[in-house]
Amino acid sequence: MSENGSRDVVIEAHQVVKTYDTGLVQVRALNGVDLVARRGDMLAIMGPSGCGKTTLLNCLSGLDEFDSGTVTIDGQDITRMADNKKTEFRAKSMGFIFQTYNLLPVLTAAENVELPLIVSGTRPSEARRRAVAALDKVALADRANDRPAQLSGGQRQRVTIARSIVNDPAIMWADEPTGALDSQTATEIMDLLAEVNESLQQTTIMVTHDPGVAARCHRTIHMADGEILREDSQAEMLAAIGKR
Amino acid sequence: MDELFGIPMSGIALGSLLATLAILVAVGFIALRNPVMFKMGLRNIPRRPAQTTLIVVGLMLSTLIITAAFGTGDTLTRSVTAEVFQQLGQADELINWDQEEHPAPESEQVIPEELVTELRTTFADDPDIEAFVPFRNQSLPLINTRTNLNEPGANISGYHLEDTDMFGGLVDLDGNQVTLEGNEVAVNENLAEGIEAEPGDTLIGFFQDQPVELEVAAIVPTNVLGGVRDPASLPGGTVSLEFLVELTGNEGVYDGIWVSNTGDEREGLERTNVVMERLEAFLEGTPFHATAEKQDNVAFAEALGNLFTTFFVVLGLFSIAAGVLLIFLIFVMLAAERKPEMGMARAVGAKRRHVVESFLAEGMGYDLGAAVVGLFAGMGVTVVMVAIVNYFGADLLGLDLSASFTWRGLVTAFCLGIIATFIVIFVSSWRASRLNIVAAVRDLPEAPPVNPEQGTWYGLLRAVLNAFAAVGFFLISFIASMRIPDLAPLFAAGMLLGLVGPFIYALRGRSFSAPASERVEGEGIPVWPFFTIVGIPFYLAALLLVRLTRDRRPARLPVWAMVLGILVMPVGLVVAALQERRVPVAWSAGFATLGAILGMFLMQWGMDVGRYFQFTVGFTLIMVWFAVIMRYFHFRERLAFTASGLILLVFWYLPEEALSWLLPEMTGDIEMFFVSGVAVITAATFVVVYNADIVLPVVVRLGSRFSRIVPAIKTGVAYPLTARFRTGMTMAMIGLIMFALVMNASLNTNFENVFLSDEAKGGFDVRVITTPDNPIPDIGTAVDEAGLETDDVRGAGRVLAAMPFEAEVSNIDGRGPVDDDGQPRDFLRYTFLGLNDGFIETADIPLRRLSSAFDSEDAVWEAFRREENLAIIPAQISAEQQGFGEDPMMQDNLLHLDPIEDGFEPFELDLRDPGTGNIETVTVIAQAQEAAGIFFNGIFLREQDLQQAYPGAQNQQYYIALEDGVDSEAFARHLEASLLIASVDSIDSLLDEQRSLQTGFLFVFQGFMGLGLIVGIAALGVVASRSVVERRQQIGMLRAIGYKRSMVALSFIFESTFIALSGIVMGLVLGLVLAWLLFTTGEIGEEAEGFSFIIPWAQLGIIAGIAFAAALLMTFLPARAASRVPVAEALRYE
Repeated sequence: MSENGSRDVVIEAHQVVKTYDTGLVQVRALNGVDLVARRGDMLAIMGPSGCGKTTLLNCLSGLDEFDSGTVTIDGQDITRMADNKKTEFRAKSMGFIFQTYNLLPVLTAAENVELPLIVSGTRPSEARRRAVAALDKVALADRANDRPAQLSGGQRQRVTIARSIVNDPAIMWADEPTGALDSQTATEIMDLLAEVNESLQQTTIMVTHDPGVAARCHRTIHMADGEILREDSQAEMLAAIGKR
Repeated sequence: MDELFGIPMSGIALGSLLATLAILVAVGFIALRNPVMFKMGLRNIPRRPAQTTLIVVGLMLSTLIITAAFGTGDTLTRSVTAEVFQQLGQADELINWDQEEHPAPESEQVIPEELVTELRTTFADDPDIEAFVPFRNQSLPLINTRTNLNEPGANISGYHLEDTDMFGGLVDLDGNQVTLEGNEVAVNENLAEGIEAEPGDTLIGFFQDQPVELEVAAIVPTNVLGGVRDPASLPGGTVSLEFLVELTGNEGVYDGIWVSNTGDEREGLERTNVVMERLEAFLEGTPFHATAEKQDNVAFAEALGNLFTTFFVVLGLFSIAAGVLLIFLIFVMLAAERKPEMGMARAVGAKRRHVVESFLAEGMGYDLGAAVVGLFAGMGVTVVMVAIVNYFGADLLGLDLSASFTWRGLVTAFCLGIIATFIVIFVSSWRASRLNIVAAVRDLPEAPPVNPEQGTWYGLLRAVLNAFAAVGFFLISFIASMRIPDLAPLFAAGMLLGLVGPFIYALRGRSFSAPASERVEGEGIPVWPFFTIVGIPFYLAALLLVRLTRDRRPARLPVWAMVLGILVMPVGLVVAALQERRVPVAWSAGFATLGAILGMFLMQWGMDVGRYFQFTVGFTLIMVWFAVIMRYFHFRERLAFTASGLILLVFWYLPEEALSWLLPEMTGDIEMFFVSGVAVITAATFVVVYNADIVLPVVVRLGSRFSRIVPAIKTGVAYPLTARFRTGMTMAMIGLIMFALVMNASLNTNFENVFLSDEAKGGFDVRVITTPDNPIPDIGTAVDEAGLETDDVRGAGRVLAAMPFEAEVSNIDGRGPVDDDGQPRDFLRYTFLGLNDGFIETADIPLRRLSSAFDSEDAVWEAFRREENLAIIPAQISAEQQGFGEDPMMQDNLLHLDPIEDGFEPFELDLRDPGTGNIETVTVIAQAQEAAGIFFNGIFLREQDLQQAYPGAQNQQYYIALEDGVDSEAFARHLEASLLIASVDSIDSLLDEQRSLQTGFLFVFQGFMGLGLIVGIAALGVVASRSVVERRQQIGMLRAIGYKRSMVALSFIFESTFIALSGIVMGLVLGLVLAWLLFTTGEIGEEAEGFSFIIPWAQLGIIAGIAFAAALLMTFLPARAASRVPVAEALRYE
């Protein structure tokens, strides 16, 4: 904490509560979660299925609404933002990586990557230049004109990473980024994410099942039943998986 | 309505009912045998109510169109038939003088009292004949002295009042018996309405310029007892025969005898044939003949109904075709949606058959619902169409239309709708069932099975063999039997043998057809073929063939065996059964090649019989083959389909003359309207969907000026281009309907200009019609006496008309009806118009053809005025008949001539007076323009020449040309009020009435065809709704990376805009260009020659605007739903 305490707080969540109403029963997915992340943090969220990991990520990133509590990002309370404002904020400050890649199958790799830039009003030629540069960072510049169907799973996830960094976001959200990949490719992707985090000083929040992946992060939060149970440092996680 | 495309309606009704019952029994069987899969299908229906509604709307179109087409036909038949029964009442046959066989002066064409007595005596005990009622007729102008309203040509009939009892008696509108004494007249409803007559009124009639006073005793129904002579002359009344004899003289003779058959007015009709036989036998050797008046008129009503039904079915074919595309599209998309669950079902043991059954269950749920909705909607559409025609002037047609339906029509429409939809559902279900289980469970794209023979000549040969064995042998035999009817029995045997083919393929995938080493226990033969009943023998033959060959299959079929198999049908079936059952078949290449072979056959057939239909369909099939084969051999798909699409477009748009050096003369009929539409829209769709990606970056670049919408444009156009199949289908649906609407609007507007332009007035403004007994000697004096300014009159002329019953003319081209020996009649009828000098000098009637003897229209008219025995024929006399089945007008006994060209050699016509048999010869020197036929539809002669040829002609009309600025309506009103004994009309008003009727019909046609737009628009809605579901996760991602809600919605709107606009522009351009080509080259009517093409911009703008607005509206809801997708939830969605 002392190490992180010197850096800016980027994300601050306070008593976040989220309940799903299925019609028959109400399920409390988040039960008063508090969380702080600073610039350059690489934070993993772990826990069993249904513990509320993805819900927390969605609520923190503004993708989902929650019942009560506050989430502040870069000093701005996202609960007070209108939908359009929140969308613009996401486009400028955040990048997203999902387990299933979520690339648009009808667009090429470069077109997928440049979408966030085009959305935020960048000129098409400039957007394309930066998209190719981002693809270059993930070593896929030569596949810029291929469609997702022509790429392997690892390559698709690299395209997703390129898309998430193309607008130099302050925060990167990753939901099971290696969940659909084999272990070799997963390692490569984590190396890439760590490198990006390091070089761009982004705040990375990652949901994962895999302790090995969590051990690559600076901190790991363990959740159960919608609550944070404890927080482990990278050293503790490495010890837990027997790699120290 | 009793026929459609020449097939009896009762046959169509029975066939479709049986087929529907078979379908329902089959579906019921599925439900009993496999209730789980059946329920699985059915339960999908209420899952998405909005989507289900769209599907039902889309599916109902076929039933709606057919119901409305049948309803229109039934309405016309019923309305005309009702008029016939109402007007003729108990009268079934008419006995009168036979003018054809026994020409005589009109005054001599009378029936003596003795004949009436003899008939009554002879047929006194005849069980089929109830009564003979003789009558006299006299046309009189009548004026109501109370209202001052007049009727210039009322038909007054005279009956022995005791005779009328045989027809149920002369009764007034309330059913009270009417007796007539002295000068009392019973006025029919039609006349009473015209002159506002009431009982007690005094009417003044004029007979040979002498006034006659009549007292109105009662108002009676408009029927034969009320003075109706024929459907074209309704105003009239009845007096006692004694009074009429006293007025006109000539006692003891009659003009005709009505014959009433036993039974009421409808039952009597059934006895017509036997009664006619007896009457003809009785009248043999006399100058009299009997005509089956009621039967002929009812037959005319049926023919008219058939004509309109056929016409509307043809117009509706566009919508039905679009509907079929929609059904297919819907089920392809449903299959995509259900793929994971179907894959799962297959994984846990459901067979392919079960998947088909489940889809069929769901499809039949929609199908039945849609058929019911479509039936009622179709009835509603009929009511609206009839109301529109009534509003715009059905009275001009002499009809009081009221929507009516027959059970037969409704049941047939309902069944045909179910059958059409079921076939498409079955095909798409079968297609959906062929899924790869793993790909389906994981919802991955379907990978085509690996075919090592793909792209090889060997593979192609085997594909062709299989296409021949599966359906080719049957199809070739079927078409050959129509082509060469003499060998029909041989080809019928071929068709029967060909029916074994499909069953071989039904067995192909089953264990039964596997060699011994691969056969598994417990899997029997398919049971469903036994339910086809008529297919059982062919199925048994296939079973035997497969049983004999299954253990004898070579590893690879020799080429010679396949070639032999293609050439010799029975061998082909054996060779097909002998092939290794697991090797995939390139079916598309096989069917395309079969299509090309049939195409060549059709082209040759078309050239041989001179029909465009076969020729163009054949060529189109060959071009489809070209594209498919290029793809088969791994040429670039874009190149293959673009090339074939462009070739087809060029082919269809080539003017007829361009290929005249190569092809024989060919003709096309109304079906070409539909065939051309389908072909050009399909071709254009190929070109657009395979090449839009070249054009779209330009659109995106243009859109980049508006940076806020660039992301929406980018995704909006990317999706449709990736999903070519559904994009192309939707585009084609909209394009097809737009094409039909644009063609209809353009051609109608242009032909209205040809026929109903101001040229129709012939330079005149007012028409005066007199009656034979009360001619006007001098119109100038009449105008003067009416107190009208003679300075307002620019000129006036007289036309003496010899009506068809008064005038015969030699049938020089041998066309029209034939006599009993099958030979064309020597003489036919026509209207002749005798023009006086005043008319010729004042008239401005344009001519369309001049004979070689003249170089200008003025020269023709000058010669016509000066020289005797010259004639000018109307354009209508040589108009080609456009067929929609049997033309009810073809049996009209009127002269039809072959088309003539400009600079034709003057030719002669013999004019025979039916009264005396005298013949005069005239020389035809020109043909008048079409528009002149509206008011002057007859062969022009000079007045004195007409009097020479047809001395009995007495119908007289005057035409008055007014100075500019004079109100023709006011002039006509004033003159009529003054003349009393003539009917005076403003020609402008008459023309406006015609145009109004034309507009009414145009609205009906456009509205009817526009119904198809519902299909295209529903398709857009279905595609958009489905896209929202399919792309839920992607929408979530877009929202996550910064797409605002409005941008997501806009993206969907752009997507639909792209598809809708492409379809609209495609239909607009293709329809307009084809209409222009057809019109300007005279390919659909040489009448258009010399007229410049008018583009009805306003109409086209409205059509395109409505289509586009409706498309956007339809996409609005799915787009809004897409924009409201909760982001986090969408990202989790699978």
